[in-house]
Amino acid sequence: MSHNSSSAKITFRNVVKKFGDLSVIKNIELDIEAGSLTTILGPSGCGKTTILRLIAGLELPTSGQIFIGDEDVSALSASQRDVSMVFQSYALFPHMNVGENVGYGMKIQGMAAEERTVKVEEALASVGLSGLSARYIDQLSGGQQQRVAVARALILEPKVMLFDEPLSNLDSKLRRNMREDIRRLQQETGITSIYVTHDQSEALSVSDQVIVMDEGVIAQIGSPHTLYQKPNSTFVATFMGDANIIDGNVIDEGGNAVIDLGDEKIFLSRPTGEVGLGPIIAAIRPESMTLKDTDFTGSTDGMLKGRVISQAYVGVANEYSIDWHGQELFCVVSAYLPAFKPGTEIYISIDPLGISPIHE
Amino acid sequence: MTLVNTSVHNPWRDPVRLWSFFGLFSYFLIPWQGLEYGVFDATPDEFFVAYGWSSINSSTIALAAFIACLIRPWHSWQKAPIIDGTISAFAGVAIFFVATVTKEPLGYGAALQIFALGGILSMALARRGFIQGDPFMTGSVLFIIVAIAIFVFFPVSTVFSKVLFAKDGSFTPDLFFDNLFSFGIGRTVWNSLRMALTVGVATTILGLTFSLFVTRVTKRFHGAIRIFSILPIITPPFVIGLSLILIFGRNGSVNDVLLMLFGDGGIFIGAGQDGWFERSPYIYGFWGIFLAQTLSFTPISFMLLVGMVSSINPALEEASLTMRSSDWQTFRYVTIPLLRPGIANAFLLAVIASLADFGNPLVLGGDYDVLATEIYFSIVGAQLDYPRAATLGIILLFFSLVSFTIQRQWIGKKSYVTVTGKGVGGTFQALPRGIVWGCTIIVVIWVIFTTMLYGSILLGGFVVNWGADYTLTLSHYEELWTRGFGYGAWPSFLTTLGFAAVGAPLTAMVGLLIAYVTTRKQFFGRNVVDFGAMICFAIPGTVIGISYVIAFNTAPILMTGSAVIIVISFVFRNMPVGIRTGISALAQIDPSLEEASLTQRASSIRTIFSIVLPLMRPALISAMVFSFVKSMTTVSAIIFLVTADTQVATTYILGRVEDGDYGQSISYGSVLIVSMLAVIILIDKLVGKSRTERTKV
Ligand SMILES: Nc1ncnc2c1ncn2[C@@H]1O[C@H](COP(=O)(O)OP(=O)(O)OP(=O)(O)O)[C@@H](O)[C@H]1O
Ligand SMILES: [Mg+2]
Repeated sequence: MSHNSSSAKITFRNVVKKFGDLSVIKNIELDIEAGSLTTILGPSGCGKTTILRLIAGLELPTSGQIFIGDEDVSALSASQRDVSMVFQSYALFPHMNVGENVGYGMKIQGMAAEERTVKVEEALASVGLSGLSARYIDQLSGGQQQRVAVARALILEPKVMLFDEPLSNLDSKLRRNMREDIRRLQQETGITSIYVTHDQSEALSVSDQVIVMDEGVIAQIGSPHTLYQKPNSTFVATFMGDANIIDGNVIDEGGNAVIDLGDEKIFLSRPTGEVGLGPIIAAIRPESMTLKDTDFTGSTDGMLKGRVISQAYVGVANEYSIDWHGQELFCVVSAYLPAFKPGTEIYISIDPLGISPIHE
Repeated sequence: MTLVNTSVHNPWRDPVRLWSFFGLFSYFLIPWQGLEYGVFDATPDEFFVAYGWSSINSSTIALAAFIACLIRPWHSWQKAPIIDGTISAFAGVAIFFVATVTKEPLGYGAALQIFALGGILSMALARRGFIQGDPFMTGSVLFIIVAIAIFVFFPVSTVFSKVLFAKDGSFTPDLFFDNLFSFGIGRTVWNSLRMALTVGVATTILGLTFSLFVTRVTKRFHGAIRIFSILPIITPPFVIGLSLILIFGRNGSVNDVLLMLFGDGGIFIGAGQDGWFERSPYIYGFWGIFLAQTLSFTPISFMLLVGMVSSINPALEEASLTMRSSDWQTFRYVTIPLLRPGIANAFLLAVIASLADFGNPLVLGGDYDVLATEIYFSIVGAQLDYPRAATLGIILLFFSLVSFTIQRQWIGKKSYVTVTGKGVGGTFQALPRGIVWGCTIIVVIWVIFTTMLYGSILLGGFVVNWGADYTLTLSHYEELWTRGFGYGAWPSFLTTLGFAAVGAPLTAMVGLLIAYVTTRKQFFGRNVVDFGAMICFAIPGTVIGISYVIAFNTAPILMTGSAVIIVISFVFRNMPVGIRTGISALAQIDPSLEEASLTQRASSIRTIFSIVLPLMRPALISAMVFSFVKSMTTVSAIIFLVTADTQVATTYILGRVEDGDYGQSISYGSVLIVSMLAVIILIDKLVGKSRTERTKV
């Protein structure tokens, strides 16, 4: 399959979608670059599927405009748009075999049977299913069905591909393989793709850009790195993996920003100018923390003192719950480091990269 | 408001223009008015007058609308639909108004042009964002709403107007009350209610007994269950009554036997003594109708209850038993309460069926008059008392709607067991011994009785005169079937076949379409469709019959006596089953299949034909078979609508019954039963288990 030079950017201008009185999408502005893979993350019911359906034309916006490329598609129905969708349930037609499923769209467009067969074989080969075109859907495994669904979406060489939680019905091993395959196919074809998932590691690993949504609005949009390391709200911070939320005050120490926590402080190792002085929330990733014995001899500057409440061994790591001035902190430490029993007094050392300052 | 851009680049190919042209063509080519003697027997003069362009009349409105849609300034796609929609909607309403005032009977031309106006209106509505901007679905919804308005709401409302307005149009509510309190009506109402409640209780108890028997006593009767479910569909509603006459009637077998034993000169009677027994027509009246309806409707109660009985979770009874309650206590305090909603449901539906039953009271009623038959007797022959018939119709509709509403509420809120059609895993505890014995005895009696009845139906046609002369003969069959296609049973049989064959696909399509739009689409006016469908469920056949006779007897929709109105009555009588079948089939089909098809650039019509219909094929076929068979055997609505030319099988048989010719009527009846059974079995075999059934979506 060749590189798709006609892939298109997607633009939302002030889009609102209401179901009755319920606003499900609230004044969304969005620009998605042509040829990129964007994931949408967010809690259940925040409007992820609705965004995809708006792009596909399965729902029409209550107000606002949607552009695909430079064309305003806001008033076009699904069958008039150059958009394909992979459904969570795959939505493969049970009364057609694999080949007929994949070739359905081309048959609709009136392509001759021989040409279609060639195209279908090509598409099936690209998802690793050569020679299965005579099978019926109920004769395929879940992973194979999922590949058929992808082939069916790809074959029309659409401007935009949409994936609504495409892997949620697969087991975790298969999920990892599939998401890499989807990413590879997306990069080969260069089709602008939007991918909805619940799984943030899936989102971080495959996408160029991640959108975090919250109750019909975009909470933050950016590269996987940005979202993980520079969340702009506690919502995003806690949604993108676990985070301990601590209130503090930024002060300046020789040009570097330090968060003053009263008796203690933690270092951000960033210029103060970049962070800004004053009250702040620090979101601290649990895996950026390590624990030290109280008879530890080095400097305890920038460390927090606490007491282990509980410890759980989960294979790759030890998970601790730590009492720090009455606040409970969650902390994940490699299982290859010595473990601490509940009740032990400890120091917590924090990697500055694991601390995200948030102004709210 | 969401606007939808479906404009095409070449305005001449815009659907609105295409519809306008279509309208113009039918204006010039097809007669606007209905022809009294049909298209083929009309004189050239009549033909000319019937054309819309022969004078200025209601069709001129249509003409103006089409021209307006063609020459209107070609505005932007946002504004044009407002103009189109206003023109077409206004024209449609105006045509009906003018035609009503000028008493023009609307004909095929009018139908086509109104259809074209509907096309324009759907296009306009879709462009204003109705149903996601889908013109086909919008058109379907419009079609359904208009059809329900014309063939359900309008006739029912004319029944009301018949008793509220005098002939000169003045408002006379006292006419209704005069009729309501006139002699005999109170007794008729009481008779109907008494019958319905008694039959309801009896069929529910029997249905429950049989359900317990096949699920909890023995599981060896799956074939019997199938027969049970088919019998009430294939048996014309009055045939059970007929066979009761053969067995218990004045000249019936039971009388014969009793007479032989205890009559004058009977075996147990001394020579020269008077017998204790004389022939009497005891079967006519309450007990005859009761027996016939109980026999006819028990299978329906059974079908309603058996799903529920088999889906009780056995763990609930086990839990009760482990808490030291006896099997009787468990049955009394766990099993029966769990079934209570199902029992109520079966009872109410039996009440509705009994109220609506026309055939059995007609042949067995004697002096016992019920609402359904009184409606008919009010307008048959010299009576022609339409206000009285309408009053009775309103009362019957009222009771039926009340039962139906209670049933809906009850079922909606109180189902403790999910009826999935398949049993829950696990095995049931044994029922108390007394229950087992009770069930078994009742079932055995029932089976003997039913066999006797159907036996008499099948044999009755082969004897000269049941009750008097049991010589075997083929003369009834010869009389009916071997005198050529123009005599005996053939004309009515072929007419019915034709009506049923045209009606069945229409019924299935309309039913499934309604199921589709009400379950899959959100739109303004859905409540109207829901309500109309509910009326169709609840409305008794005789009420449809009387309302069609009253409503379609005058312009603008003059159809009484035509074949079309009979087919339409079939469609609206059988549609509820189509809707129900469609809804349960659609519940099995994931809506994202249709969306997948749409995102593959298939239009919504294309999606319906290549995805939805193939997946609903089993439902489509069963709805079609049901409505075909039902149409062949129905009597209540159609008896009001047939004429000498459109005599159908059931009305022909009833005619023979009236003449006292039981031999011919019973042999015709058994031919109907056997041939309908053959149709069902044949289709079952032909269709078999299709791929779509195997792959549950
Ligand atoms: N057709 C509809 N009618 C009414 N409300 C709807 C409809 N479709 C979605 N909603 C509502 O819109 C909101 C957003 O739904 P959406 O399906 O977009 O959520 P989501 O983010 O995809 O959730 P999930 O992660 O659970 O799939 C929900 O509150 C949902 O109940
Ligand atoms: Mg979703």
